[in-house]
Amino acid sequence: MRGLMKKLVGLTALSSVLFLTACGGGGNEESSGAEGGKVSADVGVVSFLTGSGAAYGEAIQGGLKLAQEEINAKGDVKINLIFEDSAGKQDQALTAAQKLINSDNVTAIIGPTLSTEMNVVGPEADLSGVPIIGTSTTAEGIPQIGDYVFRNSIPEALAIPASMQQAIDKYDVKKVAILYGNDDVFTKSGYDTMKKTAEEMGLEVLTTETFQKGQSDYNAQLTKIKNLNPDLILASALYNEGAVIMDQARKMGIDVPFVGGNGFNSPEVINIAGESSNGLIVATPWYSEKEDEKVQEFVTKFEEEHGHVPDQFAAQAYDALYILADALKNAGSSDRDAVRDALAKTKDFEGILGNFSFDEEGDVLMDPTVLVIEGEKFVEFK
Amino acid sequence: MLAELINPYYLQVGCFILINIILGISVYITLSTGQLSLANAGFMGIGAYTSALLTIHFELPIIIGIIIGALVAALCGVLIGIPTLRLQGVYLAIVTLGFGEVIRVIFVNWESVTNGSVGISGIPHIGREILKTLQGFGFQPISIGLQNNQFIFLSIFILLLLITIFVIWFFRRQHQSRVGRAFAAIKLDEKAAESMGINITYYKVLAFAQGALVAGFAGAMYAHILAYISPADFAYHRAVEILIFVVFGGSEVIWGPIFGAFFLTLMPEVLRFISEYRYMIYGLIIIIMMAVRPQGLIDVPLLKALSKKGRKRGQKHGTGNHKSM
Repeated sequence: MRGLMKKLVGLTALSSVLFLTACGGGGNEESSGAEGGKVSADVGVVSFLTGSGAAYGEAIQGGLKLAQEEINAKGDVKINLIFEDSAGKQDQALTAAQKLINSDNVTAIIGPTLSTEMNVVGPEADLSGVPIIGTSTTAEGIPQIGDYVFRNSIPEALAIPASMQQAIDKYDVKKVAILYGNDDVFTKSGYDTMKKTAEEMGLEVLTTETFQKGQSDYNAQLTKIKNLNPDLILASALYNEGAVIMDQARKMGIDVPFVGGNGFNSPEVINIAGESSNGLIVATPWYSEKEDEKVQEFVTKFEEEHGHVPDQFAAQAYDALYILADALKNAGSSDRDAVRDALAKTKDFEGILGNFSFDEEGDVLMDPTVLVIEGEKFVEFK
Repeated sequence: MLAELINPYYLQVGCFILINIILGISVYITLSTGQLSLANAGFMGIGAYTSALLTIHFELPIIIGIIIGALVAALCGVLIGIPTLRLQGVYLAIVTLGFGEVIRVIFVNWESVTNGSVGISGIPHIGREILKTLQGFGFQPISIGLQNNQFIFLSIFILLLLITIFVIWFFRRQHQSRVGRAFAAIKLDEKAAESMGINITYYKVLAFAQGALVAGFAGAMYAHILAYISPADFAYHRAVEILIFVVFGGSEVIWGPIFGAFFLTLMPEVLRFISEYRYMIYGLIIIIMMAVRPQGLIDVPLLKALSKKGRKRGQKHGTGNHKSM
């Protein structure tokens, strides 16, 4: 037995040495650089491609690929995208990012999909000096991780106050009820913003109710809310739970408008809740029916390829790659530091989301569009 | 030369493999008394949160945070171990699964301390702290030809490797000691063991506490390597994942969970080149394995066969080996 153990230990040691050696082999050549004024760069993408949130990853991948084709066709910048899956887990996202940074020597990283993943990947990218752009990370504190961390997804802290302000102005709201999912990062951080904004606007919060992921019966919470008779309901929920909440609320006779966070903003709400979804107000950077040449071109192209209208994740990813391409062009090289500096200078960029700038921290400066569901359709809220 | 071999990516994967090995061992320990515990994700969470909060709020050195984290987890292991003594098999599994969920719900709802489901970020990173300390003594990684981040991950990897080797060594020794034999006796037949004078309460709770201690330790390391934790990390799917390491590798000998954790952590990384399909292959491998070897890949007969083969080879090459005959 003892001899065997020695052998096994020896074998393990040997295999790990071999493993390390094999690993050291690849990926150290400088594959990117400037050739005759044309900048070419490898860009890594960490995305949620398998698992429960694969739909997000797919949309992001679709948006990025479309942008890549167009940018490469134009010819100023040549971008090579390397996709890595994170499966929505922090440790997977981190190893994926490490691979991109150290083995593939990418110039910049786009992604990861979730804010929780960004909380892990961001500091590492920042330490390694690789610019990283989140296209769907809306939680608070993301660009504040470091100088190399950016995002072009509109944070909740910008979106929710915008939609609340407009709803309050229109419906003359004094009293609100809050409903949120307390076991999800996304909805929890949305709730924090709602609470803060409600306090700042001097609204009276009648009650704060919570629910959990996957819950299907909200009657207890809704009955309480109904009895308190609020002017407006603030609901920080993801679309699948949110749609059911609206459905049950309308059936119970609650007819006040709802203001939702970013996760509530999905055409799926209309599919699930039908006419009960009328009266949902959300702020979004992305409105697919905007009368803008660029937007319509993107929508047509995306629809041709994927068979459905692009959502905000696809649109944000599409714009992110354009912003990065712009920075690469301005930097004139694929050097990580040069690209970071050029990115930080991005100002008044005209993308499909609208006029876009980074603030000094790398956060988003833009005006969101406020939408409302009317007649089972998203229309601009006026 | 050295510098080129050290790629943080591979070291990172290596670190996760080592942490998963430690987690696998934690389930193996409780399982060696015949108790199937699914609470290890919860213990891991307790270790992680305790250490993270202590190092952030009280600025304790990481090492003390990790030790306290592991001890608190062990204490919880005792607390859960005593009332569940009478439970066996699936009933124990359900109770421990419930305990894990309770822990997670506490993390979600105790917002003033745990920051709710948003999680805790900015946890001191163990590698960066090591580097900072060494720099304080005037050491620069560049002097041995390494970049800062290479050094950071190398130091974590070596640290974890040493710890893992120690853990394996300790539990192999224990397996061959009085305690290990008591565990095995309890696993085979509780009543018979009791009638032979083995204090079942003591040994069962001991196994539970040891499992919790090791899981809590792994959790604390996890927190200081990722530098960010949230309750979702310690939900039941983590418990099941750890259990799969043990079931896949084999729960009879300690090499089972070690191999299971090594193989199943490495697999998704090796399969990266087929991107979207990698988890399909991963699932397929597990199904085939379970169909072919339901007892796990590594069991006692396999080890015996291996050792016989090894001995034969030893004899062929050995010169003065006749004494052992």
